[in-house]
Amino acid sequence: CPNGSDNCQVSLGDLFDRAVKLSHYIHSLSAEMFNEFDERYAQGRGFIEKAINSCHTATLPTPDDKEEVQRIHHGDLINIVLSMLRSWNDPLLHLASEVQRIKEAPDTILWKAVEIEEQNKQLLEGMQNILGRVHSNDLGNEVYSTWSGLPSLQLADEDSRLFAFYNLLHCLHRDANKIDNYLKVLKCRLIHNSNC
Amino acid sequence: PEMSIQLPNGQPPGKPELIRCRSPEKETFTCWWKPSSDGGLPTNYTLFYKREKDEFYSECPDYITGGPNSCYFDRKHTSIWTMYNMTVKATNVLGSNVSLAFFVDVALIVQPNPPINLTLEWVDRDSGKYLLLNWAAPPRADVRSGWLTLEYELRIKPEKGQEWENISVGPGTKYKLFSLNAGVKYVAQVRCRSNKEWSQWSSESYAQIPKEFRLKDIMVWIF
Repeated sequence: CPNGSDNCQVSLGDLFDRAVKLSHYIHSLSAEMFNEFDERYAQGRGFIEKAINSCHTATLPTPDDKEEVQRIHHGDLINIVLSMLRSWNDPLLHLASEVQRIKEAPDTILWKAVEIEEQNKQLLEGMQNILGRVHSNDLGNEVYSTWSGLPSLQLADEDSRLFAFYNLLHCLHRDANKIDNYLKVLKCRLIHNSNC
Repeated sequence: PEMSIQLPNGQPPGKPELIRCRSPEKETFTCWWKPSSDGGLPTNYTLFYKREKDEFYSECPDYITGGPNSCYFDRKHTSIWTMYNMTVKATNVLGSNVSLAFFVDVALIVQPNPPINLTLEWVDRDSGKYLLLNWAAPPRADVRSGWLTLEYELRIKPEKGQEWENISVGPGTKYKLFSLNAGVKYVAQVRCRSNKEWSQWSSESYAQIPKEFRLKDIMVWIF
């Protein structure tokens, strides 16, 4: 900012551009990571059936069809995104370190886990910034879902441990897709007046 | 007195198989199954599904809209970011057989319809000559609200050429193509995707690039 002035701010449109780029990037990384893991470790183990109803973020009240998303006030939708991002802070930190211990884990999975952890923090910061800009009265309730899955990532039994990773990557992929979709709707609504 | 039981000729149906689900716009979706052997008898198919939060299985809401061997889920029956657990049951008078479970999340099966109204227009300006390609998002895909975000890919070749040239365009719906050959007729198509599967290619559109005439020639005529 020249002369340290307060009114020189990045425009809301630019903030959203950055946020959507980040969320898009996080989504594509988590999709690739899940697919790589699925192909390599999950074939024929029936993991998908066991992964039902087991995301730690399932308790967050997130809209799950278009009409529902459209009914939600933008401030509330931003808060939902923030809650989801916060809920992933802790598991991503552990994922990035525990994934190193998987036998013969390919490098591509390793660096993606680290990268997603980093980018998730960036996005969280960006979204707090956006919330402060569009909804300055309500600076975000600190709601998030706690994750208690660390012991399952460290299980001695290989099958159970691989399932724990599978489940976490599956939930990450889903939530990254959700966050990306919510942000694209928010951007069209707030920046382009719902005419993208 | 002799008792006889009349058994119909034939066998119970084989195992049907769920093969594919597709959502064109992230608001509705259709699933298809392969009917397998019918045992030589009229066979009836029923599809049952359960979403993650559902307690019980429900039957397919619409067997008609998606054509034969399909189930169509309208808006009311479509949730995103939840796993649908589905099975198909084949039944004839001699018995029934159930498919393996099939799991699907609508967010991950989006394959849009092809873009529409591709037009090719030759633009001849002082600043440059180029072919302007314009198209529109597939009908019913809600790109305006941001619910669906599409990226596009073009392909173009001389009408008589063999090899297409592919051009990725990103989210825009127009593109300028420079350095085409004068006097050649080109054919182009466009397709789109949300984040995974490409749509089919749109129908073909054509443009005739005019034969070049040089400024010199005009001056000769004037004299």
